[in-house]
Amino acid sequence: MKTTRIVVPAAACALVGAFCAIAWHGLDGAGPNAADVSPWIESAEALGARNVVSSIILGVRILDTLVEILVFTVAVLGVRYFLELPHGRAAAEEIPESRLVGVSAAILLPLIVVIGTYVTIYGHLSPGGGFSGGAITATGLLLVAAAVGAERVGARFHEGAFERVEWGALAALLVLALLPVPFGKAPFTDLLPAGAAGRLLSGGTILPYNLLIGTKVLLGTWVIIHHFLRHRGEI
Amino acid sequence: MFGWQGVAAAVVLFGIGTLGVVLRRDLVVKLLALAVVNSSAILCLVSLRVRPAAGPPLLGAGATPVMADPLPQALVLSAIVINFAVLALALVFVMRLVEQYHTTDSHRIDRRTRDEDAE
Repeated sequence: MKTTRIVVPAAACALVGAFCAIAWHGLDGAGPNAADVSPWIESAEALGARNVVSSIILGVRILDTLVEILVFTVAVLGVRYFLELPHGRAAAEEIPESRLVGVSAAILLPLIVVIGTYVTIYGHLSPGGGFSGGAITATGLLLVAAAVGAERVGARFHEGAFERVEWGALAALLVLALLPVPFGKAPFTDLLPAGAAGRLLSGGTILPYNLLIGTKVLLGTWVIIHHFLRHRGEI
Repeated sequence: MFGWQGVAAAVVLFGIGTLGVVLRRDLVVKLLALAVVNSSAILCLVSLRVRPAAGPPLLGAGATPVMADPLPQALVLSAIVINFAVLALALVFVMRLVEQYHTTDSHRIDRRTRDEDAE
């Protein structure tokens, strides 16, 4: 126990020191010495995307992004598994919210859903994409779930269908990534035409990837929110 | 501003978060501290590649000739969502522990698991 009291703070100090050292070293590349961004611009132009960040995460870094989606899926699966109500046990009683929250939710939900969908669909042209769009739409659902109760919102959306769409989106992502293989090309190769930059139907596979990731993030986040709200006030 | 202010803030946040994880006994507070550590890493990554007077990383955005480095933004974009999901999972584990041991105090949970092992 005594050794732990010395070792743990010492390890924490070493960690902070290492973070300082890495940050200090990394500062060399900031400001006037900033790295050249022209390779990223070229890759975005080749993909037909105007949003350079989207062209990186769904272009050169697509494998990384897919693995991150898998991590997200495993985390959501864990939340679903460990927070599943035991058979026959009812959800915790809903905690009533004020009327103000209810009225705000009714007004804001359509706006939030429209903005979330826009951010997802136009992810290759303007700031946004599947990750942010899915999170925005899920925030709208959270607002409504807090206002009228998670069970009532959950009853409106068919839970089984939600689950099928969630897993379907993940399967479609993997199929889209592996689709070039039967055509004799490397996985993740862009099969769709780049199109004219600035048009909605451009950017090759970035748009379908964004839509699928947006769906996956929205439904995954909803699963987390729903399960937490069901257990609200329990502990 | 060449980003050192952001990096300095990130180092301070990292220190606060690490201290929270190590010194606080409440598991929920430990998780919040872990979230602060994560935010510090995000702030550090973005601050390290600050370009003076840069515009958004959008082609054809026009106004400024210099574009912000898109790489750190691409790195942290998905990390934010993943962190949310992983934090939620960690919180679920804390909920399970609280259900079993009726406390969020890590020392008490540790002591009770030792007692259980001894029995």
